[in-house]
Amino acid sequence: MLEAGAWYDQAKQSDMFKWPYNAPHRAAGTRAKPFGYFDATLEGGWEVPGEPYTKARGTEFMWYRARMLGGRTNHYGRISLRMGPYDFKPYSRDGKGFDWPITYDELAPYYDKAEELIGVFGSAEGLENTPDGKFLPPPAPRGYERVIQRACQHLHIPCVPSRLAILTKAHNGRPPCHYCGECGRACAVNANFNSPGVHIMPAMKTGNLEVRTGAMARAVVLGGDGRARGVSYVDKKDRSEQTVYGKVVVLAASCCETARILLNSKSSRAPDGVANSSGLVGRYLMDTVGSSVGGFLPILEDLPPQNEDGVGGMHLYMPWWNYQAQKNGKMPFARGYHIEIGGGRGLPGAGVLSGSERILGGGYGVELKRGLRKIYGANVHFAGRGEMIPNEKSYCEIDPNTVDQWGIPVLRFHFEWSQDEILQAKHMQETFQEIITTAGGKVLYSQGAETNWGISRGGEIIHEVGATRMGDNPKTSVLNSWCQAWDCKNLFVTDAAPFISNADKNPTLTISALGWRTSDYIVDQMKKGDL
Amino acid sequence: MRSKNSPGVSRRAILQTIAAAPVAATAAPAQTPAKAPYQRKVFNAHQWQTVEALCDLIIPADERSVSASKAGVPEFMDDWLDFRAREEGTDLLTAEILGGLTWLDQESVRLFGKDFAGAAAAQQKQLLDRIAWPAKAAPEDRRWASFFNRFRDLTVSGFFSSQAGVADLPYLGNKAVSEWKGCDPKVWAILEKRLSEQG
Repeated sequence: MLEAGAWYDQAKQSDMFKWPYNAPHRAAGTRAKPFGYFDATLEGGWEVPGEPYTKARGTEFMWYRARMLGGRTNHYGRISLRMGPYDFKPYSRDGKGFDWPITYDELAPYYDKAEELIGVFGSAEGLENTPDGKFLPPPAPRGYERVIQRACQHLHIPCVPSRLAILTKAHNGRPPCHYCGECGRACAVNANFNSPGVHIMPAMKTGNLEVRTGAMARAVVLGGDGRARGVSYVDKKDRSEQTVYGKVVVLAASCCETARILLNSKSSRAPDGVANSSGLVGRYLMDTVGSSVGGFLPILEDLPPQNEDGVGGMHLYMPWWNYQAQKNGKMPFARGYHIEIGGGRGLPGAGVLSGSERILGGGYGVELKRGLRKIYGANVHFAGRGEMIPNEKSYCEIDPNTVDQWGIPVLRFHFEWSQDEILQAKHMQETFQEIITTAGGKVLYSQGAETNWGISRGGEIIHEVGATRMGDNPKTSVLNSWCQAWDCKNLFVTDAAPFISNADKNPTLTISALGWRTSDYIVDQMKKGDL
Repeated sequence: MRSKNSPGVSRRAILQTIAAAPVAATAAPAQTPAKAPYQRKVFNAHQWQTVEALCDLIIPADERSVSASKAGVPEFMDDWLDFRAREEGTDLLTAEILGGLTWLDQESVRLFGKDFAGAAAAQQKQLLDRIAWPAKAAPEDRRWASFFNRFRDLTVSGFFSSQAGVADLPYLGNKAVSEWKGCDPKVWAILEKRLSEQG
């Protein structure tokens, strides 16, 4: 396995339990550490030194990379939602986008396996297009979450236990969560899912896996028979060109990086890059639609002290509830979103209790100090995470003029939202404000038409998918339904690049299930002598 | 007790692992025992005095905790302005803060014949009362009310993220909890009562 970043061992390197007052600038986010000083991302972020990317004129796109063993699984939100039956056949349902070449039922056994391996808590709810899984028990909700749940009951919005890859019971030799609420720092005891602790280190213990870190993959090397022989890479230590060889090559470099490797794999045999006879590598790039609203709930003021840390994330969430309204043509946009909630008495760091004049009216002195103690923990916020429909204007390609410090041509991004996504963001804004006012609260920040209802920038939600789409026709897809390149039968992709659509269900669990399914296929094909 | 899913991992072993972690965490800051005096990066000596006076007017000592300057807020603020300017490549925030401090001095000299730090407490408060409630500020003072919002935020967040400020807040986390029980039933009873009153 080649890893462009450094080795990472969360047992030794996690910043669990450290206090912001012992960190520079109270652990505030920086360009080098966008999610704060204690975030698990070793090196990377929206900018990686010496590894630029470019954007076409008029495009706003952000590309988060984590150069470390396990990449973005170290700091991610652990939200683990299965795509539902509708999500695999969206074109059939509303005539937009494309259908997947597989069904929910085909992937369901692999969702089972993935959940059983990584450990996901949740509850069986039987909700439409929101399949239940093999769940560990969910953690009890926090006080503010129960208040929000009550408001949602009034509004007929489902508000149910969230589904996160965090252990609420000991599982597969890993201990249960100790509820310090800081999963993004990486968990020193491996109580949440992360690729190094759950996939890579156990795999290394078999003796069958060698990991080379600091290995920046450049290209897939083809043999004279058109099959992949291996991968060439730049060894970051001495900038030398190296190649590893194998019977099978599997790319899981993250969606856009995988497209970049394929597009940079140019030869006389593959003038447009490997696996790109369709010309579709890099195309139909998607991210998730995001928009947020914050508010203050007076009902939460001045409560007796209690620890509200819980797991590193929400204990309740709201799955999409308007499938039938959309089917009946009663909504101005296609596709849904789920709602993520936050609030409570979080770890006080940079910016804590800022903007208090919006709640207290201003002031200073002992009266202000007492007022601040009362309102601490009474803010809530809502983030929508919605489906983007793939479009022709959103893609990545090789920039003809720019290389990174390793001499590898970089990606140039093109990205555009359609009205479906923008109107979805509008619906998010209106819904979240309604929840806050229903709970007796005051909206503190929101967005309107002038910002397209606060819709996130492409890439900002860090759910890039779709750049090497799978399908059942080699002319209209890069990979077949096993995530195997049509043009190169011993080349596979197991990150989010094979996705055909980007349902509001965060990608990681589907990546895990698809990757497992592809791995089983590889083993099966090798046993049959077909690879 | 061992879970059938996890041979070899007992709850006790886990808690021991967890208990060991904070020791490592607190060991790091102990590397700088005899703290060198803070070297100012942005404020000059006079501005420093003004900042001390102003942040202690915003967060004075009371029965629960020390004042902002005792909690290191001037140091935090000076360092924060330098940090933001480097991160953002612009000193807009620094200019806003220094500009506001300058206005406070000029206005104080005009009204009381003394700069802000040297004015009597009642005089200082007379000035702050004009800018500390943004909705009530006179049109010509609104700019300075914005400055004061910013300065108050820096003081408040600097104080409540300091060791003294964190201890002051009703924050009981950042530690290992052996069993998560959700919202405390006593707190939920209060919330239920408030919810029923709210209708």
